[in-house]
Amino acid sequence: MLLFKRKKTRETLLIAFFLAPSLIIFVLYRIIPLVWNGVLSFEFWSPYKPAEFAGLYHYQEMLFYDDVFWEVLLNTILFMLSAPLGIVLALAIALLVNAPIKGRNIYRTIVFMSYPVMTVAVGIIWQWLYNEKVGLINYILISLGIIEEGIPFLESFNLALPCVIVASIWQVVGFYMIVLLTGLQNIPPSLYESAAIDGANSWQRFKRITLPLIRPSIFICIVIGIINSFTNFDLVFVMTQGGPGHATDLLITYIYEAAFTLSKFDYAAALTVVNFVFFLGLALLANKLSGGEAGAVETGD
Amino acid sequence: MNRYGKLLGLVLTCSAIMLFMTATAGMAEEKKLTVLTWNIPYFEEGFNQWVTAFNKIHPDITIERLDKKGSEWSTFYQTQVVAGTAPDIIDVQGGLWLEYASKGGLLDITDYLERDKDYTERIYPEILKSWVFEGRNYGVPMYISKTLLFYNKLMFKEAGLSAPPTTFDELLSFAAKMSGGEKTGFMTLNFDWLYWPLFAVNGVELLTPDLKKAAFNTPEAIALVETLAKATASGAINKISWTGRWVEPNGTFASGTVGMLQAHAPAFLWFKSKGDWVNEETVGATHMPGGFSTPNSHSMLISKSVKYPDAAWDFVKIATSGAGAKALGTGTNNLTGDKLVNEELFAYFEKEIPVVIPVLKTQLEHLDKLCGNWPAAKDAEIKNAFYPELQSALLGQKSAEDALADAEKKVNRVLQKR
Repeated sequence: MLLFKRKKTRETLLIAFFLAPSLIIFVLYRIIPLVWNGVLSFEFWSPYKPAEFAGLYHYQEMLFYDDVFWEVLLNTILFMLSAPLGIVLALAIALLVNAPIKGRNIYRTIVFMSYPVMTVAVGIIWQWLYNEKVGLINYILISLGIIEEGIPFLESFNLALPCVIVASIWQVVGFYMIVLLTGLQNIPPSLYESAAIDGANSWQRFKRITLPLIRPSIFICIVIGIINSFTNFDLVFVMTQGGPGHATDLLITYIYEAAFTLSKFDYAAALTVVNFVFFLGLALLANKLSGGEAGAVETGD
Repeated sequence: MNRYGKLLGLVLTCSAIMLFMTATAGMAEEKKLTVLTWNIPYFEEGFNQWVTAFNKIHPDITIERLDKKGSEWSTFYQTQVVAGTAPDIIDVQGGLWLEYASKGGLLDITDYLERDKDYTERIYPEILKSWVFEGRNYGVPMYISKTLLFYNKLMFKEAGLSAPPTTFDELLSFAAKMSGGEKTGFMTLNFDWLYWPLFAVNGVELLTPDLKKAAFNTPEAIALVETLAKATASGAINKISWTGRWVEPNGTFASGTVGMLQAHAPAFLWFKSKGDWVNEETVGATHMPGGFSTPNSHSMLISKSVKYPDAAWDFVKIATSGAGAKALGTGTNNLTGDKLVNEELFAYFEKEIPVVIPVLKTQLEHLDKLCGNWPAAKDAEIKNAFYPELQSALLGQKSAEDALADAEKKVNRVLQKR
């Protein structure tokens, strides 16, 4: 009992108690599944039979025999590379609605409105917009005389992925805009005034003041864009179910398919390991590019 | 005791109470069977009828019911299996059961079927064969369905066509005649091999008879795929045939712009509910040319992990024969696997929903021409290796020759690998 009499020990114990629920949940729902997933990827496993050691079998299958894996990996990378497009668009909108124009709050709200919409609803809306026979996009293109017959956007091997990416950008652009707008509004106006007195034109002011000062906001948007490309399961599933062929499958949808359509849980585990390593690499790279302090919390005394 | 000590004591006491409650709850566990059904949440009265009949012979066993939509069913079941809490009795569509049976996840019911001759003799033997894997029975029919050809009589009349096609060539020429503008001539559902009658009528086999190698990469199959791709490009065949699943093709047929739809029987009441124009005068039901069809029936199966297999078998018998089957038939507007019950069901439908009679009649004909139902252990993987390649040829992304060669390579890999 002497141990509990020391004030520092008692405080440490209390802190441990308060932390315990979160830590237990973290270990149960994150660490254990992660480790078990890693183990599973080196086994022949099915819920009905005892596991057998498989060595690198699933990884060999993935890298040397499974063309679909390479296709979905490329799709995931393309999806990820589309994030800057959304950020540029959002920045343009943020600059517009940050300008002293009449009704800018209404414009901000309108642009942001797409973000809280459920992804499943976004998928269904865009599915109909892209419809070959009754879709609004084809209707406009035909009405303007640009095309004669409807384009089967989501049935096309070449157009389906860009179409899903457009829907994804549409949904997230409002959120990017708000993040960037916050960054823009934190820039002291005096900097622009000084630059204007020094004779800097608007492009120079944008390049030398705006862009450097909103770098943290842009970084947040890039990170969210990367996360989106790895987790955008619902949009793809609703709009195309990964098709046609595997033209819109991402790693995440392919993992789902391997596990729950094909009952290949062991192979899905190997795919998940690759997905995790790839994502971890990108997160580390992003952290390094941001100066190595991303996510750090300042605890000044 | 200081405040830290009190806090610690409180936490420990709460933990002890929770542990005690959990332990006693486990001790008082009741005898229970869980039944997982496939997207029939509205079938409540009939289900309760099954439970009442079951409790007359097993009053000590409680029945718990779960129902999942088709798109969620497989994921839910697999998750439950992994968690060690697989539902005891399952209602499965199409060939999904093969994966579970081949991995040892289902109860072999061959001995029960041999023992209970009164029951087995009521069931159509051709349909019962659908759930045989490596010579053993794993399921019995719950409600039956197979593909047929629906045709839009209004579009037929408009195109000057008097009767549905009787050959594959007629099917394509009729489709071409009816297409133009927003109209297309033919459409098919594509999941679970439902499009296979198009291949069967042209003599194309998917696998060798021993199910060990791909058999589809032949000059005849290449020519057929080229023909289908051309018809798709011209609009005679609607592209949704190769990209949609259930809602899209049936919804498009309901819009009245498609001449013919190859789909399974349950599609009829679905598209009828979406299209006011659908009735006996406007939509016909017949067999596909050659009489081929792909079964897509629902079966009742028992998980291997079941604690009370005899009781589970009793429940399955109640649900799939006699009064239980009739309740299912009238409750879901389907035919069952019970020959005697179907006679009563035809009389019921004749009186209550006469519009479905022509559709239901096709379901009991040409049972010797069922196709697309190979008892291959890796059915889902074969489908996954074959269809995307076929789809790429049908949508003009690849040549038929390249697509079938690539599909052959992939299917053989699936069949050869562990």
